[in-house]
Amino acid sequence: MLMVAMTSCDDMFTPAIENIKDETTMENEANYADQILGSAYILMPYSSSPYNDVATDDAVSNDLSNTWLTMAGGAWTSQTGVSNDNWRDRIASIQFINIFLKNLDKVTFSTTEKLNKMFQDRLRGEALGLRALNMYFLLQNYGGKSASGELLGVHIFTEPYDATVDMNLPRNTFKECLDQLIADANEAVDLLPNTYVNLSSNNQVPQKYIAIGADVADYNRVFGANTHIRMCGRVAAAIRAQAALLAASPAFEESGMTWAQAADYSAIVLDQIGGVAGLCPTGHLWYTAEQVGNASNTEDHAEIIWRERAGTSCSLEEDNFPPSLYGKGRVNPTQNLVDAFPALNGYPISDSRSNYNANDPYSNRDPRLNYYIVTNGSTMGISGNVINSSVHTPENANDKDGLNTENGTSTRTGYYMRKLMRNDVNPNSANKVEKDHYTKRIRFTELFLAYAEAANEAWGPTGKGSHGYSAYEVIKAIRQRAGIGTENGDAYLEEAKGNPETMRTLIRNERRLELCFENLRFWDLRRWKADLNEAARGMRIEGNSYQTFEVEKRNFAPYMIYGPIPYNDVLKFSNIEQNAGW
Amino acid sequence: MISIFKKYLPVVILGSMATVAVPVSAQDIEEPILADSLVQLAYRQVAEADLLGGSEKINIKDLMEKNHINDLNGTTLKGYIPGYNGNSLWGADTDNGGVLVLIDGVIRDLNNIPPTEVESITFLKGAQAVVLYGARAAKGAVYITTKRGQQGDLRVNVHASTGFNVAKRLPEYLGSASYMTLYNEANVNAGGSPVYSDEQIYLTATGANPYRYGDVDMLSDDYVKHTYNRTDVDMEITGGNERARFYTNVSYYRFGDYLKAGTAKHNYTDRFGVRGNVDVNLSDYVTAYVNTAATFYGARQARGDYWGATNTLRPNRIVPFIPVDMINPNAVGALQTVMNSNNITNGMFLGGTSTDATNIIADYYCAGYQKFISRQFQFDAGVNIDLSKVTQGLTFGAMYAIDYATSYYQSYQDSYATFVPTWQNFNGKDEIVGITQEGKDEHTGDQVVDNSSSRQTQHFSAQFDYTRCWNDLHNFHAMLVAAGWQRSQSGEYHKTSSANMGLGIDYNYDHTYYVDFGSSLVHSAKLAPGHRNGISVSGTVGVNFANIGSLRESENVNNLMLSLSASRLKQDMDIEKYYMYTANYTNGGWYSWAPNGQAAAYPQRGSNEDLTFITRKEYSATLRGDFFNRALSINASVFMYDKDGMLINNSTKFPSFFSTYYPESSFVPWLNYDANRTKGFDFGVTGRKKFGEFELELGVNGTYYKTKATKRDEIHEDAYQYAQGKDVDAIWGYRCLGFFQTDEEAASVDQSALGSASLGAGDLKYEDVNGDGVINTQDRVFLGRGGWYGDPFTLGINLTAKYKGFTLFVHCTGGYGAKALKSGSYYRPSGENKYSSEALNRWTPETAATATLPRLLSDAANNNNQDSDFWMYSRNRFELAKVQLTYDFASSLFAGKIVKGIQLFVSGDDLLMIAKNKKILETNVGGAPQSRFYNIGATVSF
Repeated sequence: MLMVAMTSCDDMFTPAIENIKDETTMENEANYADQILGSAYILMPYSSSPYNDVATDDAVSNDLSNTWLTMAGGAWTSQTGVSNDNWRDRIASIQFINIFLKNLDKVTFSTTEKLNKMFQDRLRGEALGLRALNMYFLLQNYGGKSASGELLGVHIFTEPYDATVDMNLPRNTFKECLDQLIADANEAVDLLPNTYVNLSSNNQVPQKYIAIGADVADYNRVFGANTHIRMCGRVAAAIRAQAALLAASPAFEESGMTWAQAADYSAIVLDQIGGVAGLCPTGHLWYTAEQVGNASNTEDHAEIIWRERAGTSCSLEEDNFPPSLYGKGRVNPTQNLVDAFPALNGYPISDSRSNYNANDPYSNRDPRLNYYIVTNGSTMGISGNVINSSVHTPENANDKDGLNTENGTSTRTGYYMRKLMRNDVNPNSANKVEKDHYTKRIRFTELFLAYAEAANEAWGPTGKGSHGYSAYEVIKAIRQRAGIGTENGDAYLEEAKGNPETMRTLIRNERRLELCFENLRFWDLRRWKADLNEAARGMRIEGNSYQTFEVEKRNFAPYMIYGPIPYNDVLKFSNIEQNAGW
Repeated sequence: MISIFKKYLPVVILGSMATVAVPVSAQDIEEPILADSLVQLAYRQVAEADLLGGSEKINIKDLMEKNHINDLNGTTLKGYIPGYNGNSLWGADTDNGGVLVLIDGVIRDLNNIPPTEVESITFLKGAQAVVLYGARAAKGAVYITTKRGQQGDLRVNVHASTGFNVAKRLPEYLGSASYMTLYNEANVNAGGSPVYSDEQIYLTATGANPYRYGDVDMLSDDYVKHTYNRTDVDMEITGGNERARFYTNVSYYRFGDYLKAGTAKHNYTDRFGVRGNVDVNLSDYVTAYVNTAATFYGARQARGDYWGATNTLRPNRIVPFIPVDMINPNAVGALQTVMNSNNITNGMFLGGTSTDATNIIADYYCAGYQKFISRQFQFDAGVNIDLSKVTQGLTFGAMYAIDYATSYYQSYQDSYATFVPTWQNFNGKDEIVGITQEGKDEHTGDQVVDNSSSRQTQHFSAQFDYTRCWNDLHNFHAMLVAAGWQRSQSGEYHKTSSANMGLGIDYNYDHTYYVDFGSSLVHSAKLAPGHRNGISVSGTVGVNFANIGSLRESENVNNLMLSLSASRLKQDMDIEKYYMYTANYTNGGWYSWAPNGQAAAYPQRGSNEDLTFITRKEYSATLRGDFFNRALSINASVFMYDKDGMLINNSTKFPSFFSTYYPESSFVPWLNYDANRTKGFDFGVTGRKKFGEFELELGVNGTYYKTKATKRDEIHEDAYQYAQGKDVDAIWGYRCLGFFQTDEEAASVDQSALGSASLGAGDLKYEDVNGDGVINTQDRVFLGRGGWYGDPFTLGINLTAKYKGFTLFVHCTGGYGAKALKSGSYYRPSGENKYSSEALNRWTPETAATATLPRLLSDAANNNNQDSDFWMYSRNRFELAKVQLTYDFASSLFAGKIVKGIQLFVSGDDLLMIAKNKKILETNVGGAPQSRFYNIGATVSF
């Protein structure tokens, strides 16, 4: 009898019932199909905080066990964890996308045929846009030259793989990967609306959906504001532009992508906001309390092309506020970056016309310096505390903002980061104030700068190709927005527009300033084949004395303009060719 | 004359009913069958004389007469029998639970039974000994038999003992001034400049104002004691008649803690337990028993990990208490801020900083406390029916058990404000002129109850036994067993289960030639349908040479049993989850858009319907002998077993992108693949000798094992990197070539892949094993055995000397062959770590010849912190584990008295260690210290 009682126990003779699901579950549950694609959404490579900037000449970390810090010091190998991250997560994302695409036709999103068609279109477009996105980051991280000099990409997967597939496959060429990316992005742009907004009348509904009997309510249900923040047509186009810029760059010029094509791809996105006229006047301050306020998740700031869903937090501030404001002071901008900010009149500080005063280095400077970087004596935080990052005897145990006062907390360069953070956040655990943040994925200024860079190379500073604006005009607008050269008609820019070389340097510098701490420079330096080993410098202020000093060397070998394919996969698969040098 | 020993009958007794009269076939029984001479095996008991290999018994009741043990655990049970090293039986791995612990046949916890309740423990170490217990016993089993009631007048034993735990040694940390001096050195070495000024260090060193220049010694007598008490009492009551017998035990212990900071002075742990075991003869044919036990366990602790903090909180970081009167009277605001605090004691307020707004010392005074409360209730009952009326020799027995365990934490959680002083020096006197408050005082007064958990175990078994003897020569026994148990744990959907049917047949011809066969049908719900049954088999043959030919008459050879055994066990205990054969897509992670968000879907693995049991294939031989009227006993085994088909995700076949971390998806299936082979031996020798009134017994035993990886899924560039063919408990690391003597030497080597941007004199240099000019992970080699499942060789020595009423017992243990790496910041300081006294031995240009640590660095010191043989040390040691002197008052004193006997004892545990690396082995870093224990006690019988 007892035996009988025990036989009913789950897990004894048969396992307790679980709701076992597999790939085919998608066919019966539309939402489950969306969740498969959701895995690719989760795996996206965007970060809310700066990480690889501390391995460039822009910043150092005060966390001495930071992986990027040790990489920059010479520890980067094909076995370093971060060498593996994108390889793993990007290709895995493509797998989820391919599983989704393979089954998509069998999924019933709506029993109403027109709605089902619209959902199919949107989700196919999202999936293809995401596939393009993942390929872009794969090419950025792993595209490179083999020992024989061939420019290789990664594997192209358009079908799901499983445990039965032989994975010993050679890498596709960079160009093949790029072509796949462009094709995916093109199809996504065709299928998706530019952005997800609610339409107000039937006239606005695309003809192809009118043709199958859809009205504005149907359209808004599928393509409306409630879908905002998912992959849309504008985003797919922006990624296509990013990829084209990468491919046209010196490190990848064998890809066949021309600067003119790259400029064209950027212009497609920019033309939608009217080109230079559409440059958001507060675009350089999109992250501030004034701009974000209480963020909406169904509409966006004019600067943002794509961002994460907003939520209240204070983690950025916990990490990066100076210690007196209860932060850990993690990302420390370098003197190199500070020096890159021109004088208020637009001249680089190395130019005598800038009137730069080395004994009063933070006056009379590009306003963006103060927007993005906490310099000694500037104020920060809810109560406007003065931050003293000079070398000084601490007043009490809380006074740790001074240069190297305490390892792991204080600045190592004499600067703290200000960008990306909100002044009205308080990370003090006893008195915590958390606020909404816009974590951008792509913003318009990046596309403007991409256009300027490509257009200058293709058509010179003032050439416009088939578009209504030149590199010069873009840079002029950006510098005007920043507030430099406003008194003298930006004489330095006027001078630079006469020479594509000077203009190239200026454009790259503007890109460095506008996009600092956005995890872009690490790969920018590489695609430009620029100097990777400029030592990071800091500023030691004692009283009225300003002395720069070397904080951290950079130790990248020349082959490190291309990243490594993960060691273990190269070891396992004889057909995977490693990039040269690794 | 044949010794009594040879006359024991083939005894087979069911279940745990050691004292029940045994229905054996009619034979003329000259000697009573003593429970002492029976050994509990799986579902049966056999006479010691008939014991083949693979099992070993400790008679705890007898042992406790001369060696009072407070707790049963791996340490207190080590060194008594061959084959058990305190961690494992025959070196089996301890993954997924390891050794199965059974109390009266029911799966239970070793740590929840007081030794006074225990009659004996059998260690079922060979595969032949556990085959009938099914999948969950595949790494050996420990069977604990509790005491049972004896027929006769009511008997009462009262034990009481009290003693002191004395800390062996505390870790040694540097004070503030030394710390700051060395930290400056480390910062300069790392390319920085001194952080602490000479003045600051000087003022700290003088100790003139410890409130401004903090120097906190967390291990000082202010916060830590060097002893604490432990007291145990219990009372046993037993009695009964022919129809019913009972045994009860009521026990209580309580012990304190080394900590005394703040509320920690009230820390304690206690346990109250009651057991009642009842045996009833319901009729001439039916007997039954019921066992119940209830335990109440409680522990009160101050909140927070004080010992952990001793290893991390640097001495100069905080000043926990600052006198209020150091505040300048004119600083009215500061004074007011501080006086608003709820936590001013003895005129002191709590010090803090923005980065250390709270600290563990203040926590101990002001953050409240918690109580851990655990209750267990255990019930098991069995019945045995003599079916001789149906078929001669047939009996039936069944057992059912149900156990409940619940636990939870009760706590008062307060928060508190600390205050950051701003100091100024007026005319040579430090005064506080400003105060910043961090945090706030909050005393809710609400009791928080959390972390509650519960567990329920059900265990059932039933068996038919058929026992016959023909012609006084053919002794035959067969049994058919069905058993299952299941444990559910709160918060876990799936239960831990075991189900099997067993068939056991054993036969001997005149106690001379033995054949023993065991087989089990093992069922696992973790495998795919159609793959859920496995068959375990075991066969043993034995010969007792003492009963052959001329030896039969010999008094010199009382017993000489050689047995050979071969087994193949199937187990699923190392299959950690259910449904591992299916991809079983799950939901997890989170993605969001607009107003929406949801968990994503992904597979947990690739599917493999062919997933099957893990196999243990074993061959062993055992020789047991007793000589010269048991003056000498030997017992030795050799064993070899393969563990095949361990589960892996075969990573050499699949690229890294088959799995991700967040969401935790995988397309890689599980596969039975890896294999290990364990070889080893054990031995025990015991000699007994009487010299007049002086009796001496000396036992020596040892256990050796070695487990190699015989099959691994791996791919490496260099042959020496392969784990296959190496010990499974391998320590891997670099081969260190010593310190760089000069910066130039350091610059000439490429060790940058290890993560230090610049190397200098005093950093560690490693061997470029593959000669590729670069030191990287490919240069890591096998360095030695870690002894993860117990020391490779474990030694036990037991000495008993008796003279009149005195008994001296000495127990020594030894462990040999294991290496370890000095790890953690105590031995490898870097960055912002607290410095221990080890840091004094760092490399400096002056101490280059004698340094035992690389130069200090205030960065992560990635180069020097790599695992390498530089940090390796031997764990070889010999320990005096126990000494006890016992005095039993002569029984003649108690004739006719109420008191029937008195025993007194004094004992010491862990008194001495002889080891080259004794200091490392005896120092607990970041945890409570190891203890010696001095105990006195008495037993009074009524």
